[in-house]
Amino acid sequence: MFNIRFHGRGGQGIKTAGRLLGTAFFLEGYEVQDAPRYGAERRGAPMSAYVRADRKPINARGIITHPDLVVVDDSLIPVPAAGVLAGIRPDTVLLIASHEDDAVWRSRLNLKSPILTIKPSEGADPASVSAACAGASARLTGVIRKENLIEALEDELGKLGPALLKANLDTVLQGFESMSAHQGLVRQSEAIALIDYQKPEWINLPLEASELASATIQGAQTSVQVRTGLWRTQRPVVHYEDCHRCWWVCSSFCPDSAISVNEEGFPVIDYEHCKGCMICVAQCPSHAIVAIPESEAQRLERQGEQR
Amino acid sequence: MTDTRFARMKDLPSTHWLGAGTPMCAGCGGLQALHQIYDILGNKTVFVNAAGCMTLLSIYPFTPFRGSWLYTAMGSAPAGAQGIRDALDILLEQKHIPPEEDLTTVVLSGDGSAYGMGVSATSGAIDRGLDFLYICYDNEGYGNTGQQFSAGAKTSTSKGPRGYPGYKKDLFALWAANKPAYVATVIGAEPLDLARKIEKATQLKGSRLIIALSPCPTGWDFDPKESTEIGRLAVKTGVWPLKEYQDGRVSHTKIPKERLPVEDYLKVQGRFAHLFEPVRNEAMLAEIQQRIDDYWADVV
Ligand SMILES: Cc1ncc(C[n+]2csc(CCOP(=O)(O)OP(=O)(O)O)c2C)c(N)n1
Ligand code: SF4
Ligand SMILES: [Mg+2]
Repeated sequence: MFNIRFHGRGGQGIKTAGRLLGTAFFLEGYEVQDAPRYGAERRGAPMSAYVRADRKPINARGIITHPDLVVVDDSLIPVPAAGVLAGIRPDTVLLIASHEDDAVWRSRLNLKSPILTIKPSEGADPASVSAACAGASARLTGVIRKENLIEALEDELGKLGPALLKANLDTVLQGFESMSAHQGLVRQSEAIALIDYQKPEWINLPLEASELASATIQGAQTSVQVRTGLWRTQRPVVHYEDCHRCWWVCSSFCPDSAISVNEEGFPVIDYEHCKGCMICVAQCPSHAIVAIPESEAQRLERQGEQR
Repeated sequence: MTDTRFARMKDLPSTHWLGAGTPMCAGCGGLQALHQIYDILGNKTVFVNAAGCMTLLSIYPFTPFRGSWLYTAMGSAPAGAQGIRDALDILLEQKHIPPEEDLTTVVLSGDGSAYGMGVSATSGAIDRGLDFLYICYDNEGYGNTGQQFSAGAKTSTSKGPRGYPGYKKDLFALWAANKPAYVATVIGAEPLDLARKIEKATQLKGSRLIIALSPCPTGWDFDPKESTEIGRLAVKTGVWPLKEYQDGRVSHTKIPKERLPVEDYLKVQGRFAHLFEPVRNEAMLAEIQQRIDDYWADVV
């Protein structure tokens, strides 16, 4: 059985990528399960999608704990909550959408697993990166033929019109071709036997009196414990030398209460929670807030720490 | 607007009462309005929230609120508010809580509830003169379930080749016709106008409604960073009149001097793409413009 896990962000086409791969497997005559998984979070939040495919009926259910292939957007690798590396084996293939090379990721991650990268073109829309990943993973399985991948794409995206279909077709096929040297690299694994099955790590709540056990929230503003800053792919940065301290603009418009005002009247951005909507960048009258890619911002931060 | 503490932008609250870390989309115009409203209302409030995007604000064990919050079905938030108000009144009467610990009962719902499923419960609440503040964040559709059209949908909103063929229901007029204490439209892109109206609403008793047009990047299909600009265009094109009702009178609080063509607002949103592609639907664009012009012709 093939166990394939995709990690991406809400709204970036990861769900569709999983679906596409699942449909292509199906057209090859496989039994298939494909399911996205996300919580109440929305656009930008880390999410995952699962594809299982087998020649035999699939009895496994739920999330994939031991993947044969992990497909991931590189911004999510350092995010513990995304669980990108959870349950991987030495032969689990990692396909990373990244501007950096395979070699960089090999040394950075120091894993036995084969690591491949797919480079998004400059300024590419994240959804097209997902489409390329779908094509690449189809090739890595070694069992999906090009014509079935194309048919799957027509099934899934045909209703969106010919222009969009064409654009996606090109990207999916580019992804497919890019992995020609690695065709069939992904190893199938046996479904876990019942005796080897390990319970997921859930929390057992003892039965308590209803006023204790009911889902009543007793604290105020507990939402601040949720780090929505992880959603961000762009980071707004205030250039204080250009700031005219009209804080009521950025601080009122920030939907997330993530811009506070310090004692000198300058806006301060809370990066633990800023989701990267960039309203402040668009609204700042003196253009004192600029957007930089989050990956670049984190790289600069790391450099600063090392110094 | 003489006796307001919000004379200038500088008077807007610089500390924020609503917690960060909510699951609303990046760039949500509804959350923008809610945080501005909450900064003024404060924590002496009980929110009664009808099902919709914003019920995700408080998911156990997380809440952005500093006060109480209760979840109800889509149709029944005003009924929930009645129960809370009654309970508070009993507690006050029996002296279990002192008057300074009284709370404002606030209904928070989307347009799906406010314009549609919740109208019956709202009507009952107004009939009984319920002392509550209704906040409707209006993203013109069922945002939480994928932006299907609601009774608050704008012309031609929902996806599909021709969109939603109807026109938006006039919730403002529906409320005002029943002579409640206060009705106002607001938008997060005009925070000063919003602040003054919330300030006024908090000083009144009885049934009060605030409708906040809420640009929704996910449902309306635009880049989140454009959210506030699109809100401002809604005001400048006259699509979203900022107004209030009090003591039998409707007054407009911000009349656009020279209204921009409605097209400027429509063409920047993916939900209206069918009006421009594959060919411009001149007849439909003219019809929408005409309706707006007719509205404003009656105002002055
Ligand atoms: C009676 C009922 N019908 C349908 C639903 C499913 N539902 C949950 S949220 C929602 C959309 C609500 O729309 P709106 O009030 O505009 O809020 P928004 O999602 O846009 O924030 C729907 C239809 C429900 N909860 N209850
Ligand atoms: S779907 Fe729209 S209204 Fe709902 S949280 Fe997202 S942006 Fe806000
Ligand atoms: Mg709605």
